[in-house]
Formats: sequence, C-alpha cells, structure tokens
Amino acid sequence: MKKKILIVEDEKTLCLLYEEELSNEGYDITAVMDAEAALAKLGEQSFDLIITDIRMPGKNGIELITQIMGLRKDIPIIINSAYQSYKEDFMTWAADAYVVKSSSLDDLKSKIKQLLGD
Amino acid sequence: MIEKYSILSPDFERDAPRELMLLSIISQSFFQPFSLEDNLLVILTALTSGSGVGFNRAMLFLKQGDRLRGEMWLGPRSAEEAGLIWEVLSTPGIGYVEIVEHNRALVSKNEDTLSARLKGLVYAADDENALIPAYAACRKEILLVSQASTEPLVDRRFLNVIGVEQFLCIPLLARDDVVGEIILDNAITRTPITPSDIKLAGICGLMAGNYIYSATLHRKLLDVEKMAAMGEMAMFVTHQLRNPIVAIGGFTEQLLKPDVPEEKKLRNLTIIRDEIRRLEGIIYQMGHFLKVSLKEPIYFDPGPGIAAVIDSPEVQTKARGYDLNVKLEPCLPEILCDPTSFGEVVRNLLDNAFDATPAGGTISVRGYRKNPTSFVLSIRDTGRGLTNPDKENLFRPFFTTKEKGMGLGLPFIKRVMDTCGGKVEVQSRFGKGALFKLIFICRERELTP
Repeated sequence: MKKKILIVEDEKTLCLLYEEELSNEGYDITAVMDAEAALAKLGEQSFDLIITDIRMPGKNGIELITQIMGLRKDIPIIINSAYQSYKEDFMTWAADAYVVKSSSLDDLKSKIKQLLGD
Repeated sequence: MIEKYSILSPDFERDAPRELMLLSIISQSFFQPFSLEDNLLVILTALTSGSGVGFNRAMLFLKQGDRLRGEMWLGPRSAEEAGLIWEVLSTPGIGYVEIVEHNRALVSKNEDTLSARLKGLVYAADDENALIPAYAACRKEILLVSQASTEPLVDRRFLNVIGVEQFLCIPLLARDDVVGEIILDNAITRTPITPSDIKLAGICGLMAGNYIYSATLHRKLLDVEKMAAMGEMAMFVTHQLRNPIVAIGGFTEQLLKPDVPEEKKLRNLTIIRDEIRRLEGIIYQMGHFLKVSLKEPIYFDPGPGIAAVIDSPEVQTKARGYDLNVKLEPCLPEILCDPTSFGEVVRNLLDNAFDATPAGGTISVRGYRKNPTSFVLSIRDTGRGLTNPDKENLFRPFFTTKEKGMGLGLPFIKRVMDTCGGKVEVQSRFGKGALFKLIFICRERELTP
C-alpha cells in the first residue's frame, strides 16, 4: 500500500511540482495550501508523513507543527522552507527534518525515504 | 473668552527681554526641518547675534568617542568683516532662516574661515590633567578665563588659535554626560563678559547639550531601524526569489527526462515563463522601492493625474465587474506633491482596493477640500477590510496581506506623503471594507489672465 504524505505549501506551482515528483516516487500525495486546510485533512484521514512550509498566509508552519504535535505526535514532519534562518528557531526543532527549498528535490526525497524507512 | 497663541512663532515686542528672544529662537529652531549641523549653527548664531547674548564669536567642540573635536567657529575674522556681517544681519525684516543661510558660508571648513582654523584642535574628553578648553568639559564647569596668556592652565596651541585674553567656556551636558563645549568671546568689540552674559550662555549650553544628546540618539535609532529593515528585506527577498527559482529548476528537471509528452512540455514551459516573469516583477518592484528618488514637491492641479490613472487601460480592465465611481469637487485646488509620484500613489491605492474587493464590489474615489489648506483624495472599497494588527503594520516595508504581494506599495505611498508634508490615513474594520485618505497641502489655483 502506498504511503500517504500531506504537503502544506502556499505556492500553487510548488504544490504541483511536489505532487508530481513525489507521486512518481510511489507516494500517495495530498497537497493543501494553508495550515487550516492541513488540520482539516488530518481530522479526516491519517498520513504517514507531513511536509510543511513555514511562511504562509494565516497560521504559519511553526504554529501548525505545534498544533499537530498536540494531536498526533507519531507522524514525522519535514519542514521545507525557503528560509535557512528558521533552523535556529527552537520551535522548528520539534520537526524531524529541516530541508531548505531547492530546485533539486534530491535532499527532500532522501529525507522522506529515511523517515518512512523505505 | 478663549485666546489662541501660536506655540512655534510667538511674536515678541521689539523691546522684549533679549533672554526671552534668545531662548525662543533656539527652541523654535529645534522644530525646523534643519539638520543637526544647522541646528548647532542656530545655537551659535543665537549666541552671537545682536538679538541674542551678543557675543562676537562662538566656537563649538563636539565629543566624538573619547575626544573633544573642534567642529565649528562662528564670527568675523576681523573688525572690517565684523562691520560687513553685522550690517547684513541687522537688515530690517531679515528672518532667522536667512541669517542661518548667511552664516552657513561663514562656518565652511574649505575656505579661510574661523572654522577652518579650528581643524586639528582635538583634546581627550576625560583627562584629569586636561588644559583649557578641555578642562571645562572634563570638570563639567563653566569657566571665565581672563588674562589667558598668563594662565598656565590654558593650552598654548588653543591660545594661539583664539588669540584673545578673555573667553568663556561652557560645557555642554546631557544626562550627566559631556557632549561638547562652547567657547565665547568678544574679540572685536573687546567688551568685558558680564555675570548675566555667563548665566544666559549657561542656559543656552544646557539646551544645546540636551539637543545634541537627543539628536544623536535619534540618529542611532534611525540606524538601528535601517539595519532591522535591511535584515527583514534580506529575509523577504530570499523567500520571494527562492520559490520561483525552485519551481523553474524543478519543472526544467522534468523536461530533461526522456519521453516527456508534448502536453507536459508545453505546460512546464508555460510555468517556467510565468515564474521568470514573476522574478522580473519582484526585481522591478525591489529596485523601484529602493532606488526611486522622490522629486521636490510642487503645486499642481491633481485632476488630470487622477483622470489619467482612472482612464488607463489597466485600471479600466480591472474595473470590469466592479462599481467604480469617481466624484471630485468642481474646480480642484492645486496640491503640493511630486506629480509623477502622485500618479503612482493613486494607482497603487486603486490596485489595493481592487485586490481586496471581490468582483461586484464598489470602489469609490472622492476628492474634496477638508479646509482651505487641505485637500483629501479618498479611496473606499467594500472588500475584506483590515484587522487591527494589519492596520498597525500596514506601512512597514515587506508587510503584506496579499497572497502574492511584496508589501512595498503602502510604504512607498507613506514616503511620498511624508516628503510632501501630507498624510495618509486608514479607516477599516475587518470584513467591512477600507477607506484610505490621502491628505495633501493645497492652495487655490492661480488664475491665468
């Protein structure tokens, strides 16, 4: 059975890119564009991994992680941000991995494999 | 009965006490848009002008780090020059601004002025064994020095420069710290310095010290704010540029794989083109905001500018599906602004109104006189409105409520309005639309014969 990944990304084109690329890797992808939609999806179904951006309109990625930790501590989380500097913010340390956005998705893909034990 | 008086320009009688005139001049100058250097010049001018204490010459040392450095020396170089200068300054009707303009040339360091002679006169600002003049600043004491050439505490180098036997040293203090020193003399008239001169000069010294202290603090604060804004900008630019670059790189990578269907090729190329356009837009806006230099504001009729923006194809295209109504009062006054920036300000506000309002909404533009010297151009929308935190941050660079906004439009508008002495006001409640008011200084239109 395909492993399910929830992607939270406010950029439409990046959503599409991650959806296609990670589907090709054999994952079942659900992409949403803000934290509220992510929390709604989490209420509806279970996921094996969550990938979230930090800077988004409305609730940001750090607030989202804090809320997810309160609901489901067992789901691994990857922060995928354009900012390197958030790595220093201890609030991001609750995530299992921090990947700086790059045009090569190799780093992101290898972190996913590692966390899902593939 | 209520009587009103102006805070900034009290009209003193000609025979008003000179102390009152002097303090009034100095305190008023702090409200003028003068630079720190010009305000210091005002203080020296007040100390040397006939309506002030009436010293002949005033020398200023400023503390920089742990040194006291000779900065400015105002006064005539000779009795002949004194006659000329004092004649100009006593011209009937000459205002204080003109006097400062005139004195600016006298303190130039590039010509053979007294200020130029001060060059290189530097003392330690905190030295137990300091000689005069630094002695006064180090000990925080006012000193009246007479028969200076026989006084061993006077630095000989300084004595050679000042070249008089009697002078007064006033340390400039602020919060128990020394920020500088003023040295006054009557080199031309040789009039003895009196106890009342000393008292008055001492009060001026306190005012000057506090002014220098607050102006320096203000400068430091601006530097800190600038640095914070730069940091914020760097963060923002990283994010704004990285996202399109990731998309361009990612979709290019897909194109390089074998057997990509034609349909996908076309889609990816379209995405890549759009993202490159977005990058261009970001770079344009950044450059525009950072480099755009505002021109001097002038009085002009805002009517044609408003019409040009409203009738532009861009606005007309956006206006489809909205109720855009414009009402300007007849015979608009002339407003004070840079005409080019004015057009951009109006366009920016209209763009914001369209972006915030769902199709079918109303956008109203109004232009009217608030009073004989203020003209209001308001733009009201029926969009989503602003929360209180939004309103607080609205004019901060890089703050945006839009999904794809740069957050540079409203800071630009504020900069334009500040430059022309106008104001921008916002009234809004979340969910209830927003009203932006641009308030310009205005005057009646000049009638052409």
